[in-house]
Amino acid sequence: MAAIVLDKLNKHYGSLHHAVKDVDLTIADKEFVALVGPSGCGKSTTLRMIAGLEDISSGEIRIGDRVVNHLPPRDRDIAMVFQNYALYQHMSVYDNLAFGLRNKKMPESEINAAINRATEMLGLHELLKRKPRQLSGGQQQRVALGRCIVRNPLVFLFDEPLSNLDAKLRAQMRIEIKRLHAQLPTTSVFVTHDQVEAMTLGDRVVVMKDGRVQQAGTPLDVYGHPVNKFVAGFIGAPAMNFLEVTIAKEGDTLIARSPAVKLAVTEASSRALEAWQGRQVIMGLRPEHLALGDGVVSRSFAAKVEVVEQLGSEILLETRVGDTRVTAARVPPETIVAAGDQIRLSVQPGRLHFFDPETEMVIAA
Amino acid sequence: MAMVRTPLMFARLPVGGRRLLFGLAITGICLAVAFPVLWLILTSLRPESGVYYVHRGTEFTLASYAEVLLDERLVQAFINSALISTLATIFSLLVTVSSGYMLSRFRGPAAQTWFGTIYVFRCVPYISWVLPLYFVAQSWGIYDTYIGLLLPHIAVHICFFSWLMKGFFDGIDPSMEHAALIDGCTRWGAFIRVALPSAIPAISALAVLCWLFTWNEFLFALILTGNKVPVITVVMAQFVTEMGLRWNLMAATAVMALVPAFLLALFGQKYVIRGLRI
Repeated sequence: MAAIVLDKLNKHYGSLHHAVKDVDLTIADKEFVALVGPSGCGKSTTLRMIAGLEDISSGEIRIGDRVVNHLPPRDRDIAMVFQNYALYQHMSVYDNLAFGLRNKKMPESEINAAINRATEMLGLHELLKRKPRQLSGGQQQRVALGRCIVRNPLVFLFDEPLSNLDAKLRAQMRIEIKRLHAQLPTTSVFVTHDQVEAMTLGDRVVVMKDGRVQQAGTPLDVYGHPVNKFVAGFIGAPAMNFLEVTIAKEGDTLIARSPAVKLAVTEASSRALEAWQGRQVIMGLRPEHLALGDGVVSRSFAAKVEVVEQLGSEILLETRVGDTRVTAARVPPETIVAAGDQIRLSVQPGRLHFFDPETEMVIAA
Repeated sequence: MAMVRTPLMFARLPVGGRRLLFGLAITGICLAVAFPVLWLILTSLRPESGVYYVHRGTEFTLASYAEVLLDERLVQAFINSALISTLATIFSLLVTVSSGYMLSRFRGPAAQTWFGTIYVFRCVPYISWVLPLYFVAQSWGIYDTYIGLLLPHIAVHICFFSWLMKGFFDGIDPSMEHAALIDGCTRWGAFIRVALPSAIPAISALAVLCWLFTWNEFLFALILTGNKVPVITVVMAQFVTEMGLRWNLMAATAVMALVPAFLLALFGQKYVIRGLRI
């Protein structure tokens, strides 16, 4: 049993820099949580506080049933994978894997057995005698994973472990980490700035910005129901489009209107938007929810194509709607469209998000 | 990798011509550097009467070497110099390595104070240390003793080489030590078992530099030692006597003093180059 509880966690650097602000988070036993956010959002600092590599300014961290605030890293029973692998350069791969176990004074025969199990899982057998600098980036990161596995800790911590790998290898390692977690369910915290990694790996995604947790939820939850404009824009690729619209009533239905757009609001959203009549709000549209073609007039708008990006499987269209840029994805690749074309984009009903322009919190989705 | 561009004036020359020019330049520089040393060796091999006519005459002898080696004081000076250089290297490295590590890894009042202290001492001209050191050595009763010469050398090394060491450690990724902390090491254990082995090329380089620095040092030795602890640089200078200059003996001593330094530099240079490159 090793749940992690962060209770009103704060980190100050001097009096000016408040890196982590009142973070409350409970990570269940065996759960895989991805901390995601732009650089400088406090995600790595949070992770390093869990690891014990940074002091806590205030608040409490519990791992299992122990408060670990003042425990040194070695007593927290954790293992960590670093962005730049952090392998011991002067030791062979075998010694790297054995280092932590030897520190625990484990008998050499047991160490050998543990290393055998880990190398089998990760396919490291042929590399055991090599030095880290003789390995490729991907191999080094696998050794770093192995070094964590052999320790059989309560918690795995990952600090942007895939950032130094090329795109193809990153995708492979992502799968490998996912497979490992399925084989050895262990409470894991994974820090990344890449929302795709967070979405694909995390049982739960925690989005952070400016030291605060913005939203914590399942990948589907943060994607489908972002609590504010930041989360909406950060999760999902290409990023969500935002348009300034005014809420008005036409007959019985509420509509969102700007000089270039006039869209009917679904009944579900109407209730929340009722109070916003006559006022400006920010409307969010995901590129993948826009489709080419008229559809129903009340659900489409005119756009001018600026850039066409053919991806083979789909086309990304950069368009201009009034004076706002709007990206449309998932346009069928065989569509004939060129820069300068006037097109209509239609949006699926119930896919509109509305945000308060001042607080940027969600009004309705 | 950055392309090295040939300067335009050489680019027009054929490859062979460029090589020849390069070879000539290198030979010229080597000769200029080696000339005093060759002259010194030549002087040491001449009889006393021939030292002013090194470029003439064909008489060569090893008598100067024999005379130097039979002089107990000179032999003692060699032993003293070797001993002091080695001890100064060992003790100053012990402090320099950990102080460089601290400067590289720790922030806070202790590290800042230490940083400020060695910074100030580094800024003070070397020569201005000598007189205060003389008075301190006198009042502590360590004038003309091993310890009286060792301590200032160690102090200078610490101030000068802590900076170099900090630079080396700055180049070593600290996350390796963080991994060691998580893997069960104490802060000290992470330093000894992970950071230190990675810094071995740098430490070797520093050891060579420290040893050569002390072996060649003249000023401290001149002021802080008398008759009891002769060292080679000072003894060499004492061939300037009222009766005249004994060039041949001075040259023979100098050549012998060159040998250990030369060998160390010869075998140590690959560490120095590798270490300084980190």
